[in-house]
Amino acid sequence: MLSSVSRKLILIAAMAVVFGLFAASLIDLASLYNDATKDYFFEHGFEETGSNNLVTGILLDYRLFDSLFEAGILLVAVSGVIWVSKHDFADKNPNFMIDKYKTPDLFISFARLVYPLLLAFGLYIILNGHLSPGGGFQGGALAATAILILYFIDKNKETDIKRIVTIEKVLYLAIILVALLSLFTRSTAFTNFVAPAAGRQWQVVYLVTLNVLIGLKVAFGLWTIFTAFLKEGR
Amino acid sequence: MDPLLTFIVILVGFYGLATSNNIIKSVFCITIIESGIILLFLNLGNFEGGTIPIIGEDVVAIVDPLPQALMITTIVIGSTVTALALMLCIKLFHHYGSIEWSKIFGKGDAS
Amino acid sequence: MANIALLLIFLPVLTAIVIYVLQPRRSHEIALVMQAVLTVFAVVYALHFQADFSETLIVIGGWEERIGISLLNDRLSLPFVFMSLFLWWMVLIYTYDEHDSSPTFLFFLLFLQGVFMGVLQTNDLFNLFVFLELMTIIVTVLIAFRKIGSSIRAGIYYLLINTAGVLAFLIGVILLYYSFGTLNIAAIGGEMAGHGDYRVIQLSFVLMMTGATVKAALFPLFSWLPKAHGAAPSPISALLSGIIVKAGIYMFIRLNDMFAPAGIEYETFFLIVGLATGFVGAVFAVLQTNIKELLAYSTLAQLGIILVGLVVMDGYSGGLLHVLNHALFKALLFLGAGLIVVVYRTKELAKIRGVAKSMPVTTVMMFIGMLSIAGAPLTNGYVSKSFITGALEGEPLLYYAVFLINVGSVAGFVKLSAIFFGEKKLSYPFSHIHKVLPLVLIAGACMAFGLFHVPLAETLLDVDLAHVSRFTLGGLLEFLVMVAFGALFVRFVLSRGFRTLARVGKFRLAFETANYLLVIYLAVLGVYFVLL
Repeated sequence: MLSSVSRKLILIAAMAVVFGLFAASLIDLASLYNDATKDYFFEHGFEETGSNNLVTGILLDYRLFDSLFEAGILLVAVSGVIWVSKHDFADKNPNFMIDKYKTPDLFISFARLVYPLLLAFGLYIILNGHLSPGGGFQGGALAATAILILYFIDKNKETDIKRIVTIEKVLYLAIILVALLSLFTRSTAFTNFVAPAAGRQWQVVYLVTLNVLIGLKVAFGLWTIFTAFLKEGR
Repeated sequence: MDPLLTFIVILVGFYGLATSNNIIKSVFCITIIESGIILLFLNLGNFEGGTIPIIGEDVVAIVDPLPQALMITTIVIGSTVTALALMLCIKLFHHYGSIEWSKIFGKGDAS
Repeated sequence: MANIALLLIFLPVLTAIVIYVLQPRRSHEIALVMQAVLTVFAVVYALHFQADFSETLIVIGGWEERIGISLLNDRLSLPFVFMSLFLWWMVLIYTYDEHDSSPTFLFFLLFLQGVFMGVLQTNDLFNLFVFLELMTIIVTVLIAFRKIGSSIRAGIYYLLINTAGVLAFLIGVILLYYSFGTLNIAAIGGEMAGHGDYRVIQLSFVLMMTGATVKAALFPLFSWLPKAHGAAPSPISALLSGIIVKAGIYMFIRLNDMFAPAGIEYETFFLIVGLATGFVGAVFAVLQTNIKELLAYSTLAQLGIILVGLVVMDGYSGGLLHVLNHALFKALLFLGAGLIVVVYRTKELAKIRGVAKSMPVTTVMMFIGMLSIAGAPLTNGYVSKSFITGALEGEPLLYYAVFLINVGSVAGFVKLSAIFFGEKKLSYPFSHIHKVLPLVLIAGACMAFGLFHVPLAETLLDVDLAHVSRFTLGGLLEFLVMVAFGALFVRFVLSRGFRTLARVGKFRLAFETANYLLVIYLAVLGVYFVLL
């Protein structure tokens, strides 16, 4: 076996090689650089999706299929974390439970103040996802953070994980259903079920609905993950 | 920021993966690589004078919105991988009393 | 008709969620019914296949092809679709009675099927990344499903190293996106011509191939495979070895197709990688003392032969045929080994004896599987192996290298076959028709692929196998020579119990070393493909 010093030297040399190759390839990239897609989004994105925020337009329309599985990956991870964390208390290592929830009072007082603001901000981001930076995923994460703070305020809060998980799964089914509606209205799956011709105010209905559903789903999913981790600590 | 700097972030993550014996560190190295990739992707699409990709009045040049949408996906994926890996870490600690690769794989089959 | 591609993905996913939420008592029956419906749709879909993809290309949302995500089925993906359908059938039948936590298991199993269909069908690079990560996470949970220490550590090892590999793949995707302005695989492939001299294209090839290498468990990044296969529940090992690892091979083919117009000469390098994978797998397989790890390392040996077949032959034909055949016999062996492990309650080869007397049907089926993997005439393994070696006729060095790999893996199975002989020892009574039925069906498929290889290969892969006969005297002699070599090796070398050999067999790569090799591999690939 190699000594640890020479091992590290070889590693650094290999990384230097990769870095050099990357630096060299950036020069080539400058001559190849192709931003036709950007121009397409700039010219057509607003009319086709009805979303001022093109990122939301891409997430909820052009690449909705990706977003469905992005939500799906969270769904699977939630179920996986729950499955792995279910355990008998008999095999628990007592050394692990050193932390007895020593939360400072100052933190709790501020958390009481911040909690409603955070929740409202999360909702705002979800609802305005098509107008300003944000959307379902970001707002959902914020709302979940608010719920996490709630655990610090109320130390004895118990959560029925099973119910949250069920709600999360049903929300995911609802997301797929809303995404599928376009199959019946426009005979092509996974796009806005309102055709661009119907006018922007109707397209927004779809965007807001889907953003709210995704936001709720993400919030519930992250909530479950927090709770599973907290139960590990308790 | 220069794309080269973001690539250094990625390499730092790989360096950590290749040298650290601690599982938590390995998980965080994955996160570091991911952050580096996100920075790299956004950085390559950025240019002088580009504004955020929100269509409004007198917007003349936007940065590419597609990388931003893709990176949201990457962030979500990264967070789920981290969550699952950390939960597995906790379980491993319960089983083996350690979170070091060498100690965990040094021991025999626990079944 | 094109929407069936979406159905293939979403039907298993939705069924999985419904089963998870409702936890119905007859969840397994629901899964089987769903599987039947899915099979019918897949058959209808395949019957409508047109050579110009008019029926099998769908751009989701009806956008322009360069903008939206598209799903594409061609002559490459359809055989994989049917093979995965077949294997999921077998696993669903096999796991029929596992009552405890059955809905959760089914949730992950069916979700994995939908995701795997997505990996096979997607025509979008970033979408491929999403599906690969999703697959990694689900497989991790399935490996760790029994929640004992060894399975959890195998799970986290699998999760982290595969994520590292897939992230390398993602960097390649980024570079390609900025070079071509699209993520569509077919569109990038169409514009690839003349780009072979750009270093950014070469570098993205290197990064993406590194990802595929990790996923396909090729040398030197294979270390997760024996751990994962050894620790996972047997049906999951069968799926992993049979079809999930093949996702890496599939990526390898897809990416090579995409980069082919650029004229990157990858053959020599990956030929060496394939041979190295084969040798490592064959050597380590012989030295294992654990039945599942022996099978896992023999998967590596076969992966090496598959890679040689992919690289050497036109249109990947030999490798593809071996991919399908290997999926069959390795699934058969893992499912059979699972039964043996359940009955004898140990995985140690030395402690299992007299299987032939206590489990006669399983023994016959396992023997069919072992003959297939060893390449005995009249089996499917013989057909694909002689197809590959037939292409190596002009290069004696390669021919003998593959021959050596074969001898090594045959020796492993000679060692394995010791468990069937001997007196019936302590064993637990066991009779479940649904456990044995998948074995019989897969063994039947093995025989069918061996006996009717010409029409089957013609319909599935569009490969003409007329020149490969299912039985030749020379082939039989070659097989007997291999078995004799293997038996001699096991009798005179292994049974001596050399301590160095045992130590080599126990050698495992640590996690850091595996990642270390990942970086080194990246650098070597970079030097080879970009600088030279």
